[in-house]
Amino acid sequence: MVFLAKTSTSDEWKAVISAISTLVEEATFESTVEGITFRGMDPSHVALIDISWPNSAFEKYECDSDIKFGVRIDEFSKLIKRAEKNDSIEISISEDNMLLVSVGKNKKYKMRLIESSASDTPLPKITYDAKIALVSTEFDKILGDVQVVSDYLSISASSTKASFSGRGDSGEVLITLEKGMEEIPEISVKQDSTATYSLEYLNPIVKAVGNTTGTVICEYSTAKPLRIEFKVANIGRIYFYLAPRVES
Amino acid sequence: MGLDLKHLIIREKTKLESFSSKVIAIDAYNAIYQFLAIIRGPDGYHLTDSKGNVTSHLSGLFYRNINFLSLGIKPVYVFDGKPPSLKAAEISRRKQIKKDATIKYEKALSDGDKEQARKYAQQTTSMKDYMAEDSKHLLQLFGIPFIDAPSEGEATAAHLTITGKVYASASQDYDSVLFGAKKLIRNFTNSGRRKLPNRNSYIDVEPEIIELEKSLRGLDITREQLVDIGILIGTDFNPDGFERVGPKTALKWIKEHGKLENIPQIQEKLSEIEYKQIRKIFLHPEVADVSEIKFGETDRAEIVDYLCNERSFSRDRVESSLNRLKKSLEKRSHTLEQWMN
Repeated sequence: MVFLAKTSTSDEWKAVISAISTLVEEATFESTVEGITFRGMDPSHVALIDISWPNSAFEKYECDSDIKFGVRIDEFSKLIKRAEKNDSIEISISEDNMLLVSVGKNKKYKMRLIESSASDTPLPKITYDAKIALVSTEFDKILGDVQVVSDYLSISASSTKASFSGRGDSGEVLITLEKGMEEIPEISVKQDSTATYSLEYLNPIVKAVGNTTGTVICEYSTAKPLRIEFKVANIGRIYFYLAPRVES
Repeated sequence: MGLDLKHLIIREKTKLESFSSKVIAIDAYNAIYQFLAIIRGPDGYHLTDSKGNVTSHLSGLFYRNINFLSLGIKPVYVFDGKPPSLKAAEISRRKQIKKDATIKYEKALSDGDKEQARKYAQQTTSMKDYMAEDSKHLLQLFGIPFIDAPSEGEATAAHLTITGKVYASASQDYDSVLFGAKKLIRNFTNSGRRKLPNRNSYIDVEPEIIELEKSLRGLDITREQLVDIGILIGTDFNPDGFERVGPKTALKWIKEHGKLENIPQIQEKLSEIEYKQIRKIFLHPEVADVSEIKFGETDRAEIVDYLCNERSFSRDRVESSLNRLKKSLEKRSHTLEQWMN
């Protein structure tokens, strides 16, 4: 078995780990000839992260058979945080089934693996009526703006504008972005759509991955799950799925 | 008290949150018994209302159900019916333990030893009929369904996991596994921080899940063989088991000889035990068949009236818990599963 994956900086793993850490404590990665993937849901099955990290995004990638390896995210995270920004990260698996992590020029970690969970999580099947591309720093600001008064975010989209609103005990907020504004590079809507999502899930993921990506693409339909696509340099894509709030 | 399968089966730690939107059959007597054992004042006495009636079970049920419903978990409580006649020996053994503990409790109390008093008080715990009635009344106000089992509650709960009416059965007793529960959750009704007996320290009790198929595969035995192992170790129906046979020996013998009848070492003793009858209790138990489990609405005003006006609960605490429930229900998200098929 040959498996080796090298990134030229530590940013890629930092982004992947901080994304995953918002949902789960243990993660199982799968490596194939094509690259590394991860898919997992939070314990209450409200949110899902789907990462595909193609071989072309690595500085060096070798894998001749399908392998799965499980890690405790807190342990892996501590280790990766020891890397400087410009340190390369190279991972492989040792004969005695440990994760070998080479950080920069001269640090070599050996980390225990955990039993990988076998369950194959399917992806939600949804047709999306609305698609909004947002500058990720703007999206982060909007979430912050709404959180001041509300625990959830309602998104409404029509062909000319997108509005973000929230309501709580103390009051309410409405933020409108018109088509053509620089914060919103793209908006395309097949049908006017409105849905509400929990900020408890949205905030952490946007904080975790938002700063490594220029724009995020939000797709959703009325009262259906939201899918956010983060395009991260040298990773490929991270999809984040979030189930809508139960409307009372 | 139940049988010790702890070291044979595969137990995996889990979180209450992971049962969100799932229907869970709770062994009602087992849960209420635990509330009665654990929920006590510092002197070891139960909580009571102004008339002196015990309310520990209601307190446990109330706060636990608030918790379950807030997480989107759908509990259904299964109450025991008439115990199988083979359980008589175990029942009288338990009565004796309670009698002994009551004497020790009173002595500790008169000696002023609070720690000991608390310990023995827990052992005196017994369920009274009116407690089951109180509990059912409170469940009704919550809109939480309950089922009266014809015999052992665990058997009916296990049956519901097999027919797919519920996701898992929740009980502390490993007997549920012998009754065939596909999934058993332990520490479901008592997870959280708990004081260790006789010590001034606390542990975090975490729920754990046991999957029957996984455990059987791990041991490479059948469910029938697991029942035979249970009989060797000792079940509620032959509490003494076989002399000097622990889980390890029991597993070894069953794997070597296949079943009880073929184990040469135990033949003499085996003839004194109604093992065929015990097997039947576990493998073909008397169960309630339920066509549909219906969940109702929580009647907040009625709960406040019952607990605060009739049973002397603190109005502030009950109302703030009910508000917490209302808030988290408003906040709840769907799960992604409904879009996965």
